[in-house]
Amino acid sequence: MNAANPAPGKHVVVTDFDGGEGILVDLNTKKYYQLNETAMLVWRGLEGGKSTHEIAVDITSNYEVELDQATISVERIVNNFQTYKLLA
Amino acid sequence: MSVLSAKFREDSVALNIIRQSWLPVDAVVVDGRPGLWWMDMSGANLAEPFFQQTVDRVKSENNRGELFTEFDVLLQLETQLDSVPPTGFIFHSSRCGSTLLANACRTLNGSIVVSEANAIDKLVARFITDAPEGSVKESLYSVFLRGVVHALGQRRFGNETHLFVKFAACSFAQIHRIGRIWPGVPSVFLYRDPIETIVSNLTEPPPWLKDNDRRILASVVGATPAAVAEMQLEELCARTIGSFYSLARRVANDNCLLLNYNQLSLPVISRVLSLFNVNPSAEEMKTVERVIGTYSKEVSATRPFVADSETKQQTASDLVREMAGKWANEPYCQLEQKRLEQS
Repeated sequence: MNAANPAPGKHVVVTDFDGGEGILVDLNTKKYYQLNETAMLVWRGLEGGKSTHEIAVDITSNYEVELDQATISVERIVNNFQTYKLLA
Repeated sequence: MSVLSAKFREDSVALNIIRQSWLPVDAVVVDGRPGLWWMDMSGANLAEPFFQQTVDRVKSENNRGELFTEFDVLLQLETQLDSVPPTGFIFHSSRCGSTLLANACRTLNGSIVVSEANAIDKLVARFITDAPEGSVKESLYSVFLRGVVHALGQRRFGNETHLFVKFAACSFAQIHRIGRIWPGVPSVFLYRDPIETIVSNLTEPPPWLKDNDRRILASVVGATPAAVAEMQLEELCARTIGSFYSLARRVANDNCLLLNYNQLSLPVISRVLSLFNVNPSAEEMKTVERVIGTYSKEVSATRPFVADSETKQQTASDLVREMAGKWANEPYCQLEQKRLEQS
């Protein structure tokens, strides 16, 4: 795992739901977040210690999307995770 | 009785306690926070016909610990508890033999039968009262429901292999959402002649028929809560079971078996178990045979079963017959037709 990669916070619990979607709960704030399929892929990627670039590459292999567009999406989602203090 | 209240920062303590064979025994709101009431059920078999009867027995016999947590604990437990996935679901239209079927399932080696557990059915009810289709809350309640069943199905003795969940009657109205949570889990819907069902419910009204929160039945029968509050029990019961019959006709398929009370017999129960992918031994089937000969709802299981269809037909009032005719008979006949096509 690359230490520079953003990582999920230990105070966050995730569960899969309904074919790829998921629910995150921040145990500090008791707030729940519903993630769509792409956001769950990003979260699972972060859990696996992947960089945003590696996650974007994964997405291009699963969906018909160009790498630059996938990278923008991944970075936006990671920023959202950071905004909501869901990362370590 | 030791009662603990888990605060936010005490969740890890609560988790460590709960992992030791505690079960969620109710869905409650404490200090404005919705969550679960847990009880130490270590060593306790779910031997009674209804889950709450087991809870009451365990409470009366022992000084059991109890604990409140919020729902998020379920998400954490899902990754920590060794649990049996659902084997089969039992739905019903009330007073129609579903408890007998659940009792039969309970006799099988390694089976867990969770029968009308408050924590399950109250969460299902929240789908109706608090979770519009497609809403975030719908997803949340789905995840919580999955977590509650996971917690109730935990291997507390180590040899459990089957988990049967019998839902309360009104939970059948949410079968489409339950099916989304556990796609592929086979189910059975039990029902009975409408007049016999109504007479039985009027003789001893069950909690669902007396529920002060009229939103559940209002949703089931397609009326307003105010209108439901004004209805006589005969009409309310007839409309409710009529609605269940109609829904059952729509959802019945190869994975959702229809079963009429008047069919209940050893071969039919064997067919249900086959649908549930359970292959009981000859010895287990002998035990099943003995169980179906007793009155299903009595804890001691010693009172012999006595057929009462004729008595119920004879004692039905004119109003019962009128309401059955207006709201339930036609859906019942259509459901019977569907069942005959299914068999």
